[in-house]
Amino acid sequence: MSAPALPVETPRGWAGALAPGGRRALLLLATLAILLLFLGPIVILVVTSLRPGWAVYYIYRGTDFTLQNFVEVLATESVTRAFVNSFVLATLATLFSIAVTVSSGYMLSRFTGPIPRTWFGTIYLFRTVPYISWVLPLYLVCYELGIYDSYAGILLPHIAVHICFFSWIMKGFFDGIDPSMEYAALIDGCSRWGAFLRVALPSAVPAIAALGILSWLYTWNEFLFALILTGHNTALITVTMAQFVTELGTQWNLMSAMAVLAMGPAILITVFAQSYVIRGLRI
Amino acid sequence: MAEPPDQGHRWWRLGEQERFMLLLLLPAATVLVLFQIVPILLGANASFRDWTLFSPKKTWIGLQHYAYVLTDPSFLRVVLPNTFLLMVLSVSLSLGLGLALAHYLDRRFAGRWLIQTIILLPQMIAPVIAAMMMRWSFNDQFGVVAAFIDWLGLGSIAWLAQRWPSFCIIVFTDVWIWTPWFALILLARLRSLPREPFEAARIDAAGPWRTFTHVTLPMLRPVIGVCVLIRSIDAFRTFDVVWILTGGGPARSTEVFSIYTYMEAFVNLDFGRGSAAAIIGAGIILVVAGLMYKAVNRGADVSR
Repeated sequence: MSAPALPVETPRGWAGALAPGGRRALLLLATLAILLLFLGPIVILVVTSLRPGWAVYYIYRGTDFTLQNFVEVLATESVTRAFVNSFVLATLATLFSIAVTVSSGYMLSRFTGPIPRTWFGTIYLFRTVPYISWVLPLYLVCYELGIYDSYAGILLPHIAVHICFFSWIMKGFFDGIDPSMEYAALIDGCSRWGAFLRVALPSAVPAIAALGILSWLYTWNEFLFALILTGHNTALITVTMAQFVTELGTQWNLMSAMAVLAMGPAILITVFAQSYVIRGLRI
Repeated sequence: MAEPPDQGHRWWRLGEQERFMLLLLLPAATVLVLFQIVPILLGANASFRDWTLFSPKKTWIGLQHYAYVLTDPSFLRVVLPNTFLLMVLSVSLSLGLGLALAHYLDRRFAGRWLIQTIILLPQMIAPVIAAMMMRWSFNDQFGVVAAFIDWLGLGSIAWLAQRWPSFCIIVFTDVWIWTPWFALILLARLRSLPREPFEAARIDAAGPWRTFTHVTLPMLRPVIGVCVLIRSIDAFRTFDVVWILTGGGPARSTEVFSIYTYMEAFVNLDFGRGSAAAIIGAGIILVVAGLMYKAVNRGADVSR
């Protein structure tokens, strides 16, 4: 068990003023507050998505439930296409950005000197630049190149989005792997590339998988790049949803159904890959 | 190069190691240069030109766009204060709540996994969806919060029709999303802390609060510094949540830096002015983040 959670037989201070039962009641109250705060909005959205259109206005009473909203949303061609687009984009962008950053992270972890220092500086600098300052000129570039609203025009920027962040995270992964195996391999005549690809990389695979899951979800959830760099042909799920909010301002039942579908992957990943996610969330 | 290098230094001189390093760096650096650095330079170029969608003459007009943005009352009196207020409130509130949550989770109890799953959800759900949820919950006619307030007999508040209520909901949503991030990172660090200082505090009969302020907090300070730095940088560029909740309204009163830039470029369709705003914002956060980085580095060695 963890360090600060020593067995508290005689709690002092404000907690000590409470009887053990009172302490338990306090914790129960905290649990309820957490559930209400973090689960509440999600539950409301799910309930709304299961209501017939006329019943969302009476969310606090009535017992009418239906799956019709989901049927209707999934029958809308623009929505299904947005789901497919988002899925393909998230998968491709994850594969490419992981592949591109794994070696730079390894470099940062294993070497010192001017080259890693320069790369570190670059990473810090461009990690700080706000997305809008970067996606606005990207729009101009894509427009001039004629790849605006094409798959290339959204995939290539999405590979670049996480370069700085992932290089940094990957360094952390390799820092956690003892380099002595690689030195041993080098002494045994293995090339530097062999030491990297066949000795260090396999040990980092679980951590990289964790980052891959997060990367997939980040791209699936991403909004600003999608809003600016996609048009009718390449609409992504977040942008389609946002259009629903602003254009169909009153059809909350349909919007909720779409939002519930769009947060499906997040929920699945949270429930079934939680340990991976938490491993990937490190800084 | 005159004398033959000895074995130990050979690959330094030949640059074999440097070549390996550069090759490892090549893919990431190429993508970064092509899709981030070059576009930013092109954007900087656009910011000096008269470049709107309707008259793309692209004539050089020097610093006129910069002068416009830096004297724009709405940028100075609304956008900048909103941006920094959101940053400070969101980061400090989610740090505080995250610390409390981390302590709450740092115990063994039935249903811990379930609670952790629920806490993780806001961080995993798209900010767009989180903002939609809040917009729906705070809907002034049909939302659950409105219903609750009505039930309490307090009348109705048109949350998203006034500046400060809207702004509060933006902050609330951002805190909702980011508290779990703080909580889980701090929890991981709490668990890796050495036990001895806590045992010493117990022997010295320090209460839980004193133990927290005098033992836990100082040991957590480095990780808190890094978290605050990262989160502040990200909070400065908030876009999704504000866009969905208010779109910068009512009457552009909740605009933050990203929304302002977006408006100039894609609603007013003035790419030159938008680019200038983008560069100004990037400059501001680079200075702020640089100062924070110095402070964090002084507080603890995090240059790793």
